[in-house]
Amino acid sequence: MGARRAMIAAALLATTACAQYLVMAPEPRYSGQPHSKNISSVLYGTGASPHPGVVAAECGADQLAMVRLTRDFGQWFLTTLTLGAYAPATVHYYCARPPQPPGGTIDTGVEIGG
Amino acid sequence: MPGPFPQSHTLRWRAARNFTNWHQTVVQPIAGIYTPHYPPDNPPTSAAVINSCTQDIQQAVKVAKDRRLRLRAVGSGWSLSQAGVTDGIILDTSRLAGWIKVTEGNLDPGYRGSADFRTGLFMFQCGNLIAEVNKLIEGDRFKRSLRTTGAANGQTIVGATATGTHGSALGFGAAHDQIVALHLLAGDQKQYWIERASYPVVKKALADALGAELIRSETLFNAAVMSFGSFGVIHNVVIETRPRFLLLAETLAPVPYDADLRRLIETADVANYPALKDKGRPYFLQIVVNPHGGDAMINVMYEKDWDAAHVPDYRLRAGKVGPGYDALSLIGRFFETNRGAIPPFFKLVGSLVDTRTRTGSWGEIFGYKAPQTKVASGSVAVAMADALRTLDLLDQLNRDIGPVPLVWGLRFVDRSPALLAFNRFERAMVVSLDGVSNSQSERFFRMSADRLEAAGIRYTQHWGKTNAFPPERIRRAYGHDRVDAWLAARHQLLPDAADRAVFTNDYMVRRGLAG
Repeated sequence: MGARRAMIAAALLATTACAQYLVMAPEPRYSGQPHSKNISSVLYGTGASPHPGVVAAECGADQLAMVRLTRDFGQWFLTTLTLGAYAPATVHYYCARPPQPPGGTIDTGVEIGG
Repeated sequence: MPGPFPQSHTLRWRAARNFTNWHQTVVQPIAGIYTPHYPPDNPPTSAAVINSCTQDIQQAVKVAKDRRLRLRAVGSGWSLSQAGVTDGIILDTSRLAGWIKVTEGNLDPGYRGSADFRTGLFMFQCGNLIAEVNKLIEGDRFKRSLRTTGAANGQTIVGATATGTHGSALGFGAAHDQIVALHLLAGDQKQYWIERASYPVVKKALADALGAELIRSETLFNAAVMSFGSFGVIHNVVIETRPRFLLLAETLAPVPYDADLRRLIETADVANYPALKDKGRPYFLQIVVNPHGGDAMINVMYEKDWDAAHVPDYRLRAGKVGPGYDALSLIGRFFETNRGAIPPFFKLVGSLVDTRTRTGSWGEIFGYKAPQTKVASGSVAVAMADALRTLDLLDQLNRDIGPVPLVWGLRFVDRSPALLAFNRFERAMVVSLDGVSNSQSERFFRMSADRLEAAGIRYTQHWGKTNAFPPERIRRAYGHDRVDAWLAARHQLLPDAADRAVFTNDYMVRRGLAG
C-alpha cells in the first residue's frame, strides 16, 4: 500500500512543472495579471524561438517585476529526446508599474502646500 | 451585437478568458480586463488628474452597464476568496497610484483628529501598493508610519482595506480602521465623498474639486468602507498615519503549548507569560500554534523611537536555499496521499524558523516576501472569551479528520465600527488557519465553521480569505440590524438596479448580500 501511495504521489508530482527559475526585482511592483509565453532553445543555443526571445509587449514602456521560467514534463521529455538540441520552456512574467507619481495638492481655496 | 470594447490611451482593454488571483487559488472566467492608467507623463496628483482617472473608471463602468456585464475593481488580486472577482469585467486599478498630502488648508474646521493626525493625513489613489505607501510615508520627507497592515505588502491600499486585512497591533483595529474618508464612484454617473458624521475631515471644497457629492453619515461610511467592491469603485481614501517608529522584532521558538501560553492567548497580555512579562508592552503580538507537535512560536515586536541613523532598506534578498515558488503546490499534492508526513513536515518548518532579533520600520518588517502559490489561509475571529474554546475545538477537529496541513496563527485585533468588519468584537482573537492548499485544508475550513456553529461560538470570517459563509451565518455573526443597514446603504448609494447589478458578484449572491 505504501509503495502504491508513493507511486501515485510521484505521478502527481510529474504532472507539474519539473523545474522553476525565478527572477525578481528587489522591490517588485507587480501590475495586473501574469503573462505566459513559450520559448525554445534550438541547436544548443544557436537558434531561439521566438527571436531574439520573448518580448514583453504587454508591458509597453514599463519594466518587468518578476520573470519565472518553467519546464514541465513534456518539455523536459522533448529536451531529453533530442539530447538538448531542442529545449522548450515557458516564460511567465509580471509587468512592473510605472513609478509612483510625485505627490500633489488639491487647492481648497485657503492653502496650497504639502 | 455590441462592437469591440472601446478604449483610449488611458483606458486600455485586454480580452482575457480568465482572471487568476495572486496566490493562484481562484481562477475566474471573465469577459476581459479594463486598465485605467494614470496620465502617461506622470504629473503631480491634482484634482484634474484624479478627475481624468474618474472619467476613465466611469467609462468602463458605463460599458459594463450598457452590455449588462458585471464589473469589479481589483487591486493586486491578493484575496484568497472570490470576494474581489467577477464573471464580467475586471477593472485593474494597479496603475492608479497618485497621492496627495492633505494640508491644514484642506481640513474641515470640525475635524477632531489630534494635532499629530492633522500633520499626517494622506489621500491615496486606490492602486497604491502597501509597499509604496510605506516607502513614501516612512521617508525623511514625511516621517510617518502606518499603524497596521497585514503581514505582507503586495496588496493595494484599497484592496487590503476593502476586504478586512488586519495585523496584530495590540490596542488597534484592522487596516481599514485607518481610513477616515473615501471617494466612491457609485456607477457611471454618481460619485460621493463619504466621511463619518461624527468625524468630518476635509472641506466640502475638496469634494467639489473632484466633482463628488459630500456625504457625512455614520452608517454610509461604516457600510462602504468594508464592502469588498460591492458599492462601486473606491477611487481614493484618506488615511490617518502616526509618527514613524521602529519595531524591535523577536521570535521565541519553539515554546511549549502549555498553561502559560494558553493564559497569554486568552488575555493577549504579556504580563501573563513568564518569558515576556518583564520586557514591556509589545506593539505587536502573534502566536503560531503547531497543532501537530504541541509547540508554538511567539512573534513579539516592541515600539522603539526612530533612530536618525536608520535608513530603511525594503529590498528582497536572496538566501542560499529555501522553498521554491510552487513548493506548496507540490507539497499539497504529496500530502493528499501521504498524510503521515504532515506532522514531521511542520516540525521541520518550525526548526527552520529564523529566531534572530531584527529592528526595522513597519514597512521593512512587514515587507516583501518570496512569492508562493497555493497558499491556504482562512481566518475566523472570535471574542477573547471564546479564544481557548475555539482552539480546543480546532485541535479536536484536527484529531478527528487530520492531520491537516495547517497551523493556527493567532492575532489580536480591536473592534471596528464598520458594519461588516471582520473585527467586530471588542477585542478579537483571529485564528488564521495557514498552510498548504489541498482538499484536506479546504475540508478543514468548511468543517471548522460547522463546528464553531454547532458549539454556539459567535465568529466572523475574513472576507478576503477562504470562508464558508452562507447567508444565515452572516446574519448570526453580524446581527440582522447590521446586515440590513449595509444592504440599505448599498441601495441608497446605488439606487439604480442596473448599477447594483454591475457591482454584484456571485460571492455576494451566495452570502445573501446582493439584495
